Amino acid sequence: MNSLKSQGFAPVVSDRKKDGSEWTVKEKIMLGLSPKEYMAVQLRNPFNWVLWAIYAIGLPILVGRFIFGLGWVTHSSYDYPWGLFLGWGLFVMVPLSASGFMMGTTVELFGRKDFKSIERLGLLNGLLGYLFAVVFLQVDLGQPWRLIYPMFVSLGPAAVLFLVAWHVATYLSCQVAELVPAFSEWMGFPKAKKFIKSIVLGLTIAGIILSTLHQGALGALFTYAPGKVHPLWFSSPFQWFHFFVSAVFAGLSMLIVVSTLTKWFMRWRCDENYLNNLSKLTLGLAKGASLALITYLVIKIIGIAHDNDWQYLATGWGGWFMFEMVVGVILPLIVFTMAVRNSNASLARFGAFLAVFGLALNRLNTALITFNWQLYQEIPHWREVVIVITVYATYIVVYRAVLARMPILYTWKETK
Amino acid sequence: MKMLNRRSFLKGGLAGGAAIAAVGTSKQAGAAGQSFGGYPDSMGVLVDLTKCVGCRTCEAACNKEQGLESPDKPFDDLSVFEEKREGGLPRRTTEKAYTVVQKYEVEGREHPLFRKVQCNHCNEPACLTSCFVNAYKKTPEGAVMYDPTVCVGCRTCMIACPFYIPAYSYSSAINPVVKKCIMCYDTRLKFGRPPACVEACPQEVMTFGKRKDLLKLAHQRIGQNPEAYVDHVYGETEVGGTAWMYLSDVPFDKIGYDTHLGDQPIISYVKEFLAIVPMVLTIWPALFTGFYLLSNRKDALKNEDNKS
Amino acid sequence: MGGRKKTLVGMAALMLLTAPLVAQSWAGDGPGSVELGSLANHYSAVTFDHAMHTGVATSCAECHHHTTGASPTDPTCARCHEAGGKSRSVACRDCHSDKRFSAEDLAKIEETPKMYHKGKLGLKGAYHQKCLGCHTTMGGPTGCQDCHTRNDKGDAFFNSGKYAPAPTAKAGH
Ligand code: SF4
Ligand code: SF4
Repeated sequence: MNSLKSQGFAPVVSDRKKDGSEWTVKEKIMLGLSPKEYMAVQLRNPFNWVLWAIYAIGLPILVGRFIFGLGWVTHSSYDYPWGLFLGWGLFVMVPLSASGFMMGTTVELFGRKDFKSIERLGLLNGLLGYLFAVVFLQVDLGQPWRLIYPMFVSLGPAAVLFLVAWHVATYLSCQVAELVPAFSEWMGFPKAKKFIKSIVLGLTIAGIILSTLHQGALGALFTYAPGKVHPLWFSSPFQWFHFFVSAVFAGLSMLIVVSTLTKWFMRWRCDENYLNNLSKLTLGLAKGASLALITYLVIKIIGIAHDNDWQYLATGWGGWFMFEMVVGVILPLIVFTMAVRNSNASLARFGAFLAVFGLALNRLNTALITFNWQLYQEIPHWREVVIVITVYATYIVVYRAVLARMPILYTWKETK
Repeated sequence: MKMLNRRSFLKGGLAGGAAIAAVGTSKQAGAAGQSFGGYPDSMGVLVDLTKCVGCRTCEAACNKEQGLESPDKPFDDLSVFEEKREGGLPRRTTEKAYTVVQKYEVEGREHPLFRKVQCNHCNEPACLTSCFVNAYKKTPEGAVMYDPTVCVGCRTCMIACPFYIPAYSYSSAINPVVKKCIMCYDTRLKFGRPPACVEACPQEVMTFGKRKDLLKLAHQRIGQNPEAYVDHVYGETEVGGTAWMYLSDVPFDKIGYDTHLGDQPIISYVKEFLAIVPMVLTIWPALFTGFYLLSNRKDALKNEDNKS
Repeated sequence: MGGRKKTLVGMAALMLLTAPLVAQSWAGDGPGSVELGSLANHYSAVTFDHAMHTGVATSCAECHHHTTGASPTDPTCARCHEAGGKSRSVACRDCHSDKRFSAEDLAKIEETPKMYHKGKLGLKGAYHQKCLGCHTTMGGPTGCQDCHTRNDKGDAFFNSGKYAPAPTAKAGH
């Protein structure tokens, strides 16, 4: 598409075509291309070939999961009841999607209107991350059709997962509402946008509350297994706080990562305003992320000191822990600081990749790798890995499709 | 963007309030984390490991009583003791076996020691407190029951159980459920009868009775025969106490028992988080509305500066 | 389905199990042999050669505690029963309940707070702990079927013999 644009193609940016007639919904879905052109564009993109390959292998296996049961795609471990579906799909996806509530807070609450051009990307990143966390959950649940049981059929309100379920559900609706303006512009429903504008503050505050609690709750879930997670990754009084604070830098870093990807691969869809502000905003995000990183580093150390886990640092697990902390926390912290000081956005982008990696490693370490550290290590079944890749590919496909259409990376031009 | 006026600000506040009300149910979470300590007259089982001969009669009895799938090997096949699961660990409870006997060769002990494993029916079960659909129930008789009709299959109970007891019927696509010992509640315990394994055991390794009486008996046995037992009743205090308790003549950590579980029920580790829930729910809205007003005051002042 | 039926079958099995078919033939000071049938549901009754065992044991008290009048060998018992304390009956089942853990037995313990022998073994437990305990130290037979012949019901119970699972079943993950 980038090359198309350099040849003079003008993407949809408003209700009306150049000649003044209105775009139909179908035309908008086709990105303003004719069906033939659209197919040609899809076929030309090598990334799509990769996706098709993934689906060719992954879809049958995903379907098989529901026909033959979890036992067919996982090792059916009783000792490791949670595998990659939750380890990756829930515990990594959700913190990386914390960008939604943080952008809302920055722009709507703290009045940082200068972040406006990246706010919607932050919100979308949040919404889709949560949505696919739920998809992953549905793949993992033994009886996915009972998903609403904790809400309406049989309630266990003392359970941390109960809180996660309610909060994620409520927060998902919050995020959908927050993105209604983008959708209504694109579809041409100005009323919906107006309504949301009037309640945006309430939505934003609800978003902060819900996010604080469920990001923390994902950590608190592991306090049910105090002896099973390695002490360096576990601290019962601080677990929720560790998870919450790391979600802050993870969400911001993920936003930098995604915006970088859009800048590289979807430049055709970004407008001047977005592209011109991006470097400055990247540094702003990096600054926020570095504050969260330093907080995280300090409370991690406090956690170790509080539980007196120093002796573990000298073990093999300690080495692994140090690797995670150095590469995933300290290094991005240094890189972010240097980037902010030298106003070097590319450096900040590199730092963001590191921080996202660090977060993912931390969650996988907690949920899978150091879980049952006194027993043995579980290597996921290859079908489990394939399904994770397939669902994640779908996440990317949906993400890309929305970005290509709705006014996320560009500003909608009102024609009336 | 147009600055919010007072009216729309109030409306926004209301929407926020509604969202909070929607999740307000979780406030109960803070209150529900109270200590419980178990039912006073609940029943229990005292397992005297020194008496077990590893005949696996209990496993067979459990299989028949609970109508479980037939085993991979006959119940009189003693080669199962040499079977190892991943990590070189001894076999554990599965969807086909609610109880298994393990064999331990202990240095300095003339004969191997056999250990029967099944759900310990904790006083404050981790499985129960972690379940978000309330599928578990601790009956006054002491059994920890599981209701397969509401289970969603998130398997948090398996994460939470400190004894690695609950298994899951992964093989079923339509109706996978948690599989664990229910102390024969619906066929026996409810009517005051002991679990099938207790009754079947030829060695009377297990003594069935009120938990509080069993504790006295356990200490009496240790007291009368101090050289035959280590001075500890496993399950008396572990994770808040369990209905099934154990006597042994070798230190418990040598025969696969986790001796680092502590005396606090698992839920006590979760309380720190549950306690912050109501706080966040009440303080955050006020705090962030305050931030909002402050930041917009700055804006307003700036606007005035610009005007003048 | 089958819940009630199962319970009934279970109860019948229990009744069989707990009705000891004890037949004795006397010779001299004690019975020559004793039929022990407390596991009759799964095994045929054991013929216990009492006369032979009296020759092996150093004292009646080794098995009969204080009931025969001899001084008990177990120091814990001796604390109270040093002098022997002959009982009206010396038969195992007259002290060791064949209905251990039944509601009546549990109630009896409950209603007699001063009862000392609260943890007294049931009949089956007493036999096996005594027999196996001694057999292990003296090198007597210890396998289940060294003493009992298992019947068809027993084979089914243990999923053994003709009820054995097909060998194809591979050990689960
Ligand atoms: S042993 Fe495990 S499964 Fe059994 S009651 Fe305790 S926590 Fe629950
Ligand atoms: S039936 Fe009794 S002696 Fe036999 S293995 Fe089970 S607990 Fe041990």
